[in-house]
Amino acid sequence: MSDADGRSARGRAGPRPPLAAYPLGWRVLDALEAAAELWPRRWGGAVKWLMLLPALALVGLLLWGLGVMADASLRAMDFRTYRLAEEWSAANFAKAWGSAAFWATARRSLVAAVAVTAICLALALPYAYAMTRTRRPGLRRLLLIGLFLPFFIGQVVRAYGWLILLGQQGMVNQALGAAGLGPYRLLFEYPTVIFGLVQYMLPFAALMLAPALAAVPEEVERAAASCGASWPRTLWHVVIPMARPGLIAAALVVSTLTLTDFAMPAIMGGGGSDFLANLVYDQFFRTSDAGLGSAITLILTFLGTTVAAVLLTMAGIAAQGGRGRR
Amino acid sequence: MNRFPNGLPLTRRRLMAGAAALTGATAMPGLLRAQEPGKPAEIIVRAWGGVWVDSLKRGVSDPFTAMTGIAVRHDLTEDNEIKPRIWAAVDQGRVPPIHINWDTTANATSSALRGVCEDLSDLENLGGVLPLARPIGLDGVPIVNTYAYVYVLAYRPEAFPDGAPTSWQVLLDPRFRGRVALYNDGIGFHPAAQIAGGGTLADIPGNMDACWQFITRLKEQRPLLGEDPDFTAWFQNGEIDVACTISSNAREAKMNGVNVAWTVPVEGAKVDTDGLWVPRGLPANETYWAKQYINFALSREAQQVWLDGLGLPGVAPGLTPPADLVGDPSYPTSEADFARLLLVPPRIQAEHSAEWFARFKDIMQG
Repeated sequence: MSDADGRSARGRAGPRPPLAAYPLGWRVLDALEAAAELWPRRWGGAVKWLMLLPALALVGLLLWGLGVMADASLRAMDFRTYRLAEEWSAANFAKAWGSAAFWATARRSLVAAVAVTAICLALALPYAYAMTRTRRPGLRRLLLIGLFLPFFIGQVVRAYGWLILLGQQGMVNQALGAAGLGPYRLLFEYPTVIFGLVQYMLPFAALMLAPALAAVPEEVERAAASCGASWPRTLWHVVIPMARPGLIAAALVVSTLTLTDFAMPAIMGGGGSDFLANLVYDQFFRTSDAGLGSAITLILTFLGTTVAAVLLTMAGIAAQGGRGRR
Repeated sequence: MNRFPNGLPLTRRRLMAGAAALTGATAMPGLLRAQEPGKPAEIIVRAWGGVWVDSLKRGVSDPFTAMTGIAVRHDLTEDNEIKPRIWAAVDQGRVPPIHINWDTTANATSSALRGVCEDLSDLENLGGVLPLARPIGLDGVPIVNTYAYVYVLAYRPEAFPDGAPTSWQVLLDPRFRGRVALYNDGIGFHPAAQIAGGGTLADIPGNMDACWQFITRLKEQRPLLGEDPDFTAWFQNGEIDVACTISSNAREAKMNGVNVAWTVPVEGAKVDTDGLWVPRGLPANETYWAKQYINFALSREAQQVWLDGLGLPGVAPGLTPPADLVGDPSYPTSEADFARLLLVPPRIQAEHSAEWFARFKDIMQG
């Protein structure tokens, strides 16, 4: 119910109708507009910051936490008193640098981030494409259910499900046994962790890709076909480049979640395939060394940020944002 | 005239008599309670799950509630995870999240070294228990040890048709590649590895090369690394044939129908203790009742029921061992029994556990 609408309504039909006659959305907007009138006009420039306040508070909280971590990371633990040293030093970073476990878990986390992202994108692309392009509503519904159902089952539950299926006495080994094979040790190896992560991350990738593929007009594909391009060429040269923001978003989500994952290596790795997050947990809770734990946390945060920056740079988003292009 | 609810007229004589009776009725228990601070509605005890909490509830918590009327709630947060929360609460002057921490002595010692434990030296029952109850090398009594346990060599008898293994060296047998399990922080295995690797117990912590060399060789066996519940599950699911674990876990698996046996090898096995402690920062009356809970946990009647469930030897003298553990080397009761076992003082463990953990992780993850 804008003023203009109100005036024209009054102009045409005489007295203004009661407030309740207008849609709720209009009344809410009117109330907000009235409230905005109370804001002094000379403070108009502050409105955008006011609207950003919740986000700034969240980021501020995050930075504060990082600051606390940074401070702790510079204090070595004295194991005679179990208290962090008063003075700063780089001892915790030196300890991490010299630790074989740190390098092994860092390498494992990074390799998993790359491998899981690549596999998830390769599997999610055809899934999301089929979901957005199918003309059969039943199939689309089925694919949507297949996409959302895993979100209702937690990561730990799914990991334990795999323990039951892939164990020495699990269904897979029983089926192999019926064929005169095995039993094989299918669990507690690094590839098992990768497998579990792919199964966990795939819905995230498909969910990020689907809107990007839906935004690619089908007419573009038909135009490419009318120019003589085969479907694979169209997919490679038209659809995938146009869906690049979705691919980058999916890669960003899957790679950072994988890099920092804790549960899958803990449950499916048998203790021998830890990631950096497991190492962080060990420092905070097993050895009570908050200093070393904080140092490894900061390194993990740096790695995650670097991965994100690389992906955003690949997408060209960072460059566009940095130069203020529109 | 005012009347009592039963209709009797309220006379001066009756009023005086009633007042005297009321005063007497309230004063007598008051005199009895004069030594005791007010009771909290409940106290919270951190515990391990499964057979551990069931035994504690049956042997200590339920009888304590029956005696005092104070409800006992069990918090199953991991001992490692509750520790930083208690430390933070004490440092910040907040009330800690639990009243009593049931903890490994080595883990509890780190809290004692940090100074967050109440002194328990005034517990009445502490005078009548075995010396094992008092922690070695700490000022006062910040922790009370309540029983001992042994990290035994547990095995599946089907995998050993020629009889029980006699040495920790069996873990290096190529037959068991991928079918060996240890704790994921190496806890309980260091002294055994030190001896099996050709070193001596006296060299801990100064020279543990023998231990690390043995563990490095064991890494080639691709061992599974887990925590208490994992061992039971792995034996049950046929994932492993042999493991270094606490005898209670092997006994629980056996009682659940899993064919598991255990032994103390010729090199010996690590013996350790668990204890109870009270964090600082609780209101005075709650500290008092938390201490009373621990005091009761040291009594013979509480220990008999509690530790029958766990199959572990307590610190109260004269306990009757469970029938299935009489003569079992994992149930030490005499000095000769303890002499076969490997004891590393908790303070040494607390001061070196991070270093040992890092070394173990370097080997196993590297």
